[in-house]
Amino acid sequence: MNSMIRSRMSRLIRLITLQATVLIAGWGAWQGRCIGGGIDALARSFEKQIKPFLTQHCLRCHNEGKSKSGVRVDDLNGMLEERHLKLWERIRAQLKDEAMPPEEEEQPSSEERRRVELWAQEALHVAKLRPAPKDGGVRRLTVAQYRNTLRDLLGLEEELTDVLPPDAVSRDGFLNNQETLALSPLLLEGYLEIAEKALDRSLVDASSKPAIQNFRVELGSAINAEPCADKLVLGADSLLLNSADFVVQQLTPRKPFQYEPFFMQSKFRFIEGYQGNDTVRDWKDFDGIYHAVFACMRGTHDYPKGRAYSTVSQGLLLRPAIPSSELFGLESTYGPRANFKIPVRELPDHGRFRVTVTAAKYNDGLLLDPGVEPRPLDGGDALICRAPWTTRQVVRLKEAGIYQVDVRTSGEDKRPAELTLDLGSRQFVGTLAQPAFLAVRLEPGELSVGVQMTGSNTLDQVVFTALSTDDAVARRFVGFEKRFPLLGVHLGLRRDCGSTLSPVGGPQRVDSDILKAYVFEGAIRNFPSPDVEKDNVNYLAGIREIGVRSEYTHGLDMPRLLIRSVEFEGPLYDMWPPSSHRRIFIDSSQKKDPRRYAREVIRAFAVRAFRGPVAPSEEHLLMSVFSESLDSGASFLESVKSALQVVLTSPRFLFLIENSKSPRPEPLDDHELASKLSYFLWNGPPDAITLQLASKGLLRKRLDSEVSRLIQHARFSKFIGEFAPQWLSLEKFSVLEPDRSRFPKLTRDVRHELKREPEEFLKYLIQNNLSVRHLIESDFVVVNDVVAQYYVLAGRPESGFEFVPFRHSRRELGGVFAQAAIMSGLSDGRESNPVKRGAWLARKIVAEPPDDPPPNIPTLKEEPKLTLRERLEQHRNQPGCAECHRKIDPWGVPLEQFDAGGRFKGEGGDAESILPDNTRVTGVRDLKRHLVEDRLDQVAFSVLSHLATYAIGRNLTYTEVAWLRREGLRLKDAGYRMQDLVRFVMKSPIFLEK
Amino acid sequence: MITSYSIDRRAFLKGLGGAALALPVLDAMGAKVTEKAPRRFCAIYTANGMSLPKSDHGLDDWSWFPTAEKGGRFVFGKSTEPFSTYRDQVSFLGGLFHPSGPKADPHICSDMWLTGAPLHSPKPGTFNSVALDQVVALHTKQHCRQPSLVLSIDAGTGFLSRTGTISYSLEGRPIPAENNPRRVFDRLFRMDRQSLAKERDSLKQRIKIVDAVAESAKALNRRLGKSDRERMDQYLTSLDEVESRLIASERWVDIPLKPQDHSHLDLSVTNESDPAAYYRNMFDLIGLAFDADITRSVAFMLNREDGMGISDTFPLKLGLSRTHHSLSHAGDKVGQLEFCKYDLFLSQQVAYFLKRLNEYKDRDGALIDNTIVLFGSGASTTHNPVNLPTLVGGGANLGLKHGAYWRRGETRMSNLFLSILRSMGIDQESFADSTGTLTGSIFSRG
Repeated sequence: MNSMIRSRMSRLIRLITLQATVLIAGWGAWQGRCIGGGIDALARSFEKQIKPFLTQHCLRCHNEGKSKSGVRVDDLNGMLEERHLKLWERIRAQLKDEAMPPEEEEQPSSEERRRVELWAQEALHVAKLRPAPKDGGVRRLTVAQYRNTLRDLLGLEEELTDVLPPDAVSRDGFLNNQETLALSPLLLEGYLEIAEKALDRSLVDASSKPAIQNFRVELGSAINAEPCADKLVLGADSLLLNSADFVVQQLTPRKPFQYEPFFMQSKFRFIEGYQGNDTVRDWKDFDGIYHAVFACMRGTHDYPKGRAYSTVSQGLLLRPAIPSSELFGLESTYGPRANFKIPVRELPDHGRFRVTVTAAKYNDGLLLDPGVEPRPLDGGDALICRAPWTTRQVVRLKEAGIYQVDVRTSGEDKRPAELTLDLGSRQFVGTLAQPAFLAVRLEPGELSVGVQMTGSNTLDQVVFTALSTDDAVARRFVGFEKRFPLLGVHLGLRRDCGSTLSPVGGPQRVDSDILKAYVFEGAIRNFPSPDVEKDNVNYLAGIREIGVRSEYTHGLDMPRLLIRSVEFEGPLYDMWPPSSHRRIFIDSSQKKDPRRYAREVIRAFAVRAFRGPVAPSEEHLLMSVFSESLDSGASFLESVKSALQVVLTSPRFLFLIENSKSPRPEPLDDHELASKLSYFLWNGPPDAITLQLASKGLLRKRLDSEVSRLIQHARFSKFIGEFAPQWLSLEKFSVLEPDRSRFPKLTRDVRHELKREPEEFLKYLIQNNLSVRHLIESDFVVVNDVVAQYYVLAGRPESGFEFVPFRHSRRELGGVFAQAAIMSGLSDGRESNPVKRGAWLARKIVAEPPDDPPPNIPTLKEEPKLTLRERLEQHRNQPGCAECHRKIDPWGVPLEQFDAGGRFKGEGGDAESILPDNTRVTGVRDLKRHLVEDRLDQVAFSVLSHLATYAIGRNLTYTEVAWLRREGLRLKDAGYRMQDLVRFVMKSPIFLEK
Repeated sequence: MITSYSIDRRAFLKGLGGAALALPVLDAMGAKVTEKAPRRFCAIYTANGMSLPKSDHGLDDWSWFPTAEKGGRFVFGKSTEPFSTYRDQVSFLGGLFHPSGPKADPHICSDMWLTGAPLHSPKPGTFNSVALDQVVALHTKQHCRQPSLVLSIDAGTGFLSRTGTISYSLEGRPIPAENNPRRVFDRLFRMDRQSLAKERDSLKQRIKIVDAVAESAKALNRRLGKSDRERMDQYLTSLDEVESRLIASERWVDIPLKPQDHSHLDLSVTNESDPAAYYRNMFDLIGLAFDADITRSVAFMLNREDGMGISDTFPLKLGLSRTHHSLSHAGDKVGQLEFCKYDLFLSQQVAYFLKRLNEYKDRDGALIDNTIVLFGSGASTTHNPVNLPTLVGGGANLGLKHGAYWRRGETRMSNLFLSILRSMGIDQESFADSTGTLTGSIFSRG
């Protein structure tokens, strides 16, 4: 053993011993001996040996002024600062591989090389073992966390936080990074404004009477005995329902408190209006509720099959509202078809509202597709109906069952006729392009049949043929009648062009053919509000719309939705004062004594807002704000509000604080842990259960069961909704402008669902604790009907918009690479992009982040004839680009098997690639195999480090990364299960210590 | 009872305010006021460079920088043709660059454009340095209601190194930008909606709240031990800034806004609307804000670097075939011509702004003569941070002589910035890495 190595080893041993001493001796000793000893020694040798080397061999290219490849060595020192550790790793590698200095430069001797390399190695070793000082942490809530917290605290659904500037994005793509969560005056002004508004909305004058608006629109053909006599006009392309087909009534709901019913204005005077497409300029008086509430349809004309809507005696029938771009291939400014709306002039400004839709699934028949053959007339069981058609005919059915209805005509008229067929009280309307018209379930006994047909052909016969259960049409009908429409309610503004309707909660299944009430609630301010001046003179200005639809999912035949009535109530109060008020002004025996009661109210609020105990000095300050306000003549309510406003803008509310007393790692206290836990897994404040455990000092002991509870809770979606898009860069997909001619299926609505796919997939993996390998390769996908349709899956989950696991049999599907939101997001909407995809995979999936592009990038010589691969190669071979692109492009090349819409192009293509470590893969399948078989540790580490970074809201230190890489291997035997990974992070000192 | 500490603090701030925040000099009744006409500054940024097509494509007449001369005067290229109406109010400046530019990641040239900061090697703990518009704001804010207006196509700050704002505070932190015309309008012009007494009461109330919050924050800070103090410092500094803004606003309450015609605004427009309509309304708002002397410093980022944000898709919306960022990378003739055409679109927008500024009147002439407009990009062609395309407009009353295509080898942007400051009567020694002013150029007072 040569002497240099011997001395190095002995120093190493000494250092390790020192480390051990640290753990036993106190912080003072650690500081004095370790930093003073080990690092000082390294620092001394740096000055003596390393710095001269760097100066001689590196400095000329890597200095402050000329930092070639983004590297400068002039500010390196022997202190092993955290920010320099990565550079030291690179220097060591460069020296070891003899990659630097460049060939044409003077070369150091191999002994010199080795000395510096060993110094760096030792330095890195010391740095790895050195516990980084932990000084607690202060980070503000992200905008989303602030929103969730405020909502939870005040029970206020109204969205007030859109005045806040959006959070900045960290290097890793996260919004909750301490470094990027800056504070600015604009932000603080926002907090102040929101606190004021939020309290104004939550607290009321208990002695006042609220105004409540309640009205109902009933629907059905000719149900209005006294229809509006005026000709109603509502702007371009508003298909108003026949005035006799709806009735508007203003109601006074029964409430356990006194209120003022709000009745809508019904007398108006306007000078501007519309008649067809012409602007009308003439003062005119209008009188009647039907100038305040309308009923109309909007949407692209035509419907692929059947009539988009029709009014029958039971109500209004709606077919699924097909987004016009989805099927008609055009961007309509009128929204999807069929789209029923109730335009209303007046709705409340603030507060919650409820829309109650009385609806049912229509006992519908299936309009038959082209190509279905008519049934033979001589089969014996055919029931034939003949003219006259002026009155209803009666047929007598022997048995219950599925029947095919054929309509036979004769004549020269080539235009397809529109046929209206009444069977009993049911009505079916469709285009008659062939005799086979309808499949329908009928009951035995007498059935009245009415038929009407457009055109000049003669209607000869209507034929009913009972189908056997194994008949293909009967089976199709059985599939059809099992489906159920999804009822969606929307709220927006009426515009001549463009739709502003946004959904009020999620759509609801209507699976019963008996009329039932379906309730939708929301906060009215969360929807576009008309900004109409008091002296508005335009008939069409400032009108809101309540939209009611059968939502479109998979495009398969769907029984129609029957709407009987739509009722609106708002502001919605179950009691008065409302619960938002009562939750602050709690019941108390001290209500008589304003100051004592104020103290109780303010303290209780502060404890909840601060997510932990309130210090006496804090309470004192809040009380002095209250008292000063009261003494200056403000009301009790206003004075309490002032104090609460201070609570809502103070750092204890806005920040997540981990208070550390020393640089030594200390355990989080129970309340800090409670917040850290819930802001991680719920992106919001801890609930009463977690806080109670914290107060009793039991949280740490029950951490496991709390983590389980939080993960299975509905609020876990808040974590998924933040973490998944930020980790997997889904935002790129949200802003993508796909080439519509090449990717016609990538419509706005489809993209919205596709973007949820990776989120729902990740949620499923974590909640069910499945192996991390599913991220790469999985025999199931998690999809809803829309997503299934996009991938052209064999069969549909028939789950509507709900995401469910679905087994697939396609080799390319499964795992994140096959998810369109990811692959398409990593394109420009036209061509796929191997560089973006490669960089994404390197960063996100295998945690081998490429370096930033260096300064002084030479411009690429343009040679348009080159193929993509040749261009990449050219890029890689260019000095300055090569270094990084060698680590990026090879990962992206196999993913070229997915097009810019994220769909599989097929096997083959130019997808063979040699990965940075010289592994050869033949395409994406082979890449998946390689990652699962040979690199699962690395994938698991990537998940772990992204989870950890997000969980603690700051960049991991060098030591923490090393720790995760090492200790994470312990999860291997169990197969790296996703929930295990989450737990592992939460039980690590990285998370539990401050 | 509020503690005596905060009372003292209030008194102190008031006193300080009295010195630092001069009383508004606008006179409600239109009576003569002694102050000079306001001097204003507006920076307009476009990302990804401008079109300087390759010579072998034969598109020289589309070059953003003028390539031809006629009668001793430069000829406007096709993409800058809309400026030709204002020939005597604009100049092209060539050869400008930030010496720190070529050293830094080429995608962050927008971060540096108004600051000139050495982003490749920032001071520890900082990210950037102060932007030109904020220096202007520092020296003009005592005269107007808002120190500055920071606008961008995307709200907030965006990525740390692909920032969505071109404005940086005195501490070098990105200032979140606003992008919604209605919100900007409501904030700037609707302040007179509430009755004045109510407005004043609510400001007083806010100041009280801010006082109490500051006190609780300080108390907390003392208890915090070794925890991350920097966050708390940021918080307290921001709080101070909010408070001084509130105090300034309180003084402004009594003075009604200048009556203006707002009927040309369409506030329903957003960045998702038609791009031209969006830019037009944003420029209208800037014009109105200048005219009412609400602010004297504006920064507006028209679009983002590196294909970030919604603006990347604008060329597609205008019927061109590629996104903004990919057009800027185009080497083929078709692509380069389309990039030129996008420049033409931008020129039309900025020219519209110049038109507005010509329509408003100060007491000594058109508003544009007291306003310096800086329009440019942080790269000449893509990611090439030299010879920054730069157009300076307006400011005739501030000593600017226009109608030139000025260039003198490589010249520091910071020298231009110093000239702008001096022209506005702001006597700074230097700005960022400036070595002097642009002597012998279009500036005669700087």
